[in-house]
Amino acid sequence: MAIEGAELVKAASLLGAGLAMGLGAIGPGVGEGLVGSKACEAIGKNPGEAGLLTRTMLVGQAVSESTGIYSLVVALLLLFVV
Amino acid sequence: MEELGKIHQLVVTAFGYELRFNLEVISWTWIVIICLLIFGYIAKRNRSIVPGIFQNIGELFIEQFYGLTEDALDKRLARKYAPLICALFMFLLFCNILGIFPHLGEPTSDLNTTLSMGIMGFVIAHYVGIREKGFKAYIKAYFQPIFFMMPLNVIGELSKVISISFRLFGNIMGGDIIVLVVSYLTLSLVLPPFLIGFFFIFIGAIQAFVFTMLTLVYISVQVK
Repeated sequence: MAIEGAELVKAASLLGAGLAMGLGAIGPGVGEGLVGSKACEAIGKNPGEAGLLTRTMLVGQAVSESTGIYSLVVALLLLFVV
Repeated sequence: MEELGKIHQLVVTAFGYELRFNLEVISWTWIVIICLLIFGYIAKRNRSIVPGIFQNIGELFIEQFYGLTEDALDKRLARKYAPLICALFMFLLFCNILGIFPHLGEPTSDLNTTLSMGIMGFVIAHYVGIREKGFKAYIKAYFQPIFFMMPLNVIGELSKVISISFRLFGNIMGGDIIVLVVSYLTLSLVLPPFLIGFFFIFIGAIQAFVFTMLTLVYISVQVK
């Protein structure tokens, strides 16, 4: 039985959703790890400022996470709208 | 998992247009607003030197965000815009935490709420920019490095609205969907409470803070 028509579109959109989520999660993962490691170094050098550094780290991580969130939105659109 | 992606809508036809109202989101937003009003009333009812518990919480919010606004803007502007920043944070925090109650959801898991918040921040930032710098200096900022960078600057300003609102929406909606999907697996009594604690309370608080700080940063970029 050949896959054609609407089934092909559905299969392609499911495949695209998986690819979008998997590839889109690479960048934010690397970025958040870098931010976390740099914040650890900075806290080690200057433990008195730990509160400020943690706050800045969380904001930076949440901002660098946004490309992953875009890929999540694209994947959801592909799953439930197409 | 049939209910995923389905929302209750009230469709009103007027003047040839279809107006769609998301009734659940509207009622959740009103619940948040009424809770905030009651909280404010209780916090200021018995003011004293030794604060009660609600006055203490209110003072905590105001003190923190007044300090943050004073760091980002100067002292004169902070008196004017710290209430906005504080109210924005408290509204978003209550919105994100509302999902932990049964039969209620987050108003921020609807794109309309976050997009309207983002557009509000955008309009306020540009209004403050025009008011503080004057119209000429405001227009001049778009032609900043060289003349033909103007389209890029305009697109950069507009994309701020998209990025800030989609970030909040995606985080909250993604948390909702992950909790829903895990609830259908085995161990549905064990795992979801911890996931709800992580996604709705921790991520919700962080994203509310990030949204508020980014709005503050956009205002301070326009002022300087």
